[in-house]
Amino acid sequence: MPADAVAVPLTISPVTPVRDTGETCFVTTSYKRGIAERAQIRMNDAELIREAQRGNHAAFEELVRQYDAPVLRLAYHMTRSEQDAQDIYQEAFLKAYRNINNFRFECSFYTWIYRIVTNLCLDYLRKRQVRKEDSTVVSDGEGETYDLLDQVADQRSGASPEKDLMRRELGGRIAKALNKLTPRERMVFEMKHYQGLKLRTIGDILNTTEETAKNTLFRGTQKLRAALKDMR
Amino acid sequence: MALGQYIGIRRFGLLANAKWSPPSKEVRGFMNCDWVQQNITLYLYNELADDARHELEQHVARCISCATELNGQREFQDAMSSLAVPDVTPSFLAASRMRLQESVEQIQPHRAWYQRLAFDPSGWLRQVRFSPALATILFLVGFGGGIGTMYQAMSGKATAPSPSAVAESSIAPVEGSISGITSIQRDPASNQIKVQYDKLTPESVQGSVTDPKIQGLLLAAAKSGENAGVRMNSVDALKGKSDDPRVRETLTYSLRYDSNPGVRLQALEGLGGLVKDDIRVRNAVLDALLNDSNLGVRSGALHSLEPVKADSSVRMALQQLAKEDPSDYIRQQSKQLLASMPNMY
Repeated sequence: MPADAVAVPLTISPVTPVRDTGETCFVTTSYKRGIAERAQIRMNDAELIREAQRGNHAAFEELVRQYDAPVLRLAYHMTRSEQDAQDIYQEAFLKAYRNINNFRFECSFYTWIYRIVTNLCLDYLRKRQVRKEDSTVVSDGEGETYDLLDQVADQRSGASPEKDLMRRELGGRIAKALNKLTPRERMVFEMKHYQGLKLRTIGDILNTTEETAKNTLFRGTQKLRAALKDMR
Repeated sequence: MALGQYIGIRRFGLLANAKWSPPSKEVRGFMNCDWVQQNITLYLYNELADDARHELEQHVARCISCATELNGQREFQDAMSSLAVPDVTPSFLAASRMRLQESVEQIQPHRAWYQRLAFDPSGWLRQVRFSPALATILFLVGFGGGIGTMYQAMSGKATAPSPSAVAESSIAPVEGSISGITSIQRDPASNQIKVQYDKLTPESVQGSVTDPKIQGLLLAAAKSGENAGVRMNSVDALKGKSDDPRVRETLTYSLRYDSNPGVRLQALEGLGGLVKDDIRVRNAVLDALLNDSNLGVRSGALHSLEPVKADSSVRMALQQLAKEDPSDYIRQQSKQLLASMPNMY
């Protein structure tokens, strides 16, 4: 079934991609304002979508600009390759563009575009699992490859060589542990831990229930802890 | 020093045969260690209901085993966060957008039958603009036809068109410009060729900018005119009418995408008064401030945003620019704007 052909009930669940930790207070302290802002965003989105459905190219560009940064970030985190992330980003928005006339406002555009991109990422992970790729080596847009662990060390250049070494080792272990998860567990963990989405939203995006998303997160977390348990 | 100590992991212990279970009244009534340990993950991700959260905190305060589990899970999450995945850089995002834009221009969304029949002048102009093969055919047909007519006129051998040609069309193809040839059919029996074509005759029209026909042409020219001068004049004529949503959309489009900085400046001038009330305009101006390649457009955008400088997204952009913009002028102006803002906290 194509990613964009699925209808879900209208939801006003919190869909703002805000990390739970640290930034949550920003949302909750102005709860009423948050609801009003979300309603405004949805209203603006609805206008843009209608315009895009009438063939207004600029309106679609505006929609892309509102959502493309988190979409690209998700794809980049999942693939760890600029080229692959860009391919997924491209395919997701082209799918959205081709099918914009089929959008029936049964869910938010946010959920819709995330649903498309998560399906593409899941396909990518499934294919990669078949190829048994679990290297921490990633490639950038110019085809240059580098080890993810070197990147981890670079970002903490102020640290001592000993700490750098340990951080690299830790990064390598974590990357391998993440690669051992099923694509769905990996996706739920990514959306919860790194993207900070609510489990209810994750359930909507993955066309499942919040309870199932909780179970998947729990299973994924347990597997990760098992893979890293000897790190004392 | 052990690796676990370095990252603060003292315990990655696992629950034996654990499976997450939703809160139930029975369990919640007598909050036990199993339930707490199964829900610690949700607690740390802020996914527990307020009452369950409170009860869990109460339990952990008096249960050493669950407190240890909570610390273990917290340290596990910290460790996972320490995997610094390279973030998306602005240049990576810009390159991705550019690639997408190129692809989007080449495809059309799936449309309903009634939408397919609707005439879109700007789309049609784009199609003509990007069809070199069609242009070549037009040139050859026009050139050949012109030579033929000239030969006939000079030699005085111009003859009346054959009855069959008259039956099809009373006007010879060379008399007007041809915008496209739609089909060519050859009848093997009579050796006659039937060419079906569309004509495009140059015309001019005059009227005020409020005239819908004039406005429609200006909107199409602003987006699709090949000549930057034409686009600039169109935007200049339209900018006084930015209250009209279609004009506003076209000016926003020009500000974002026109290749000529002069046109972008004109569009910015037209949109300047709308940044306060229209979030889309504000976003476009903000984008121009952050990403436009032309310093003049950027500084124009900076001044346009003055009425909304207290807006959180504008404030964040100004802070970023004041800190690290390569242009001294932009850095200085951003600092000045920030300094003139009332203290928010």
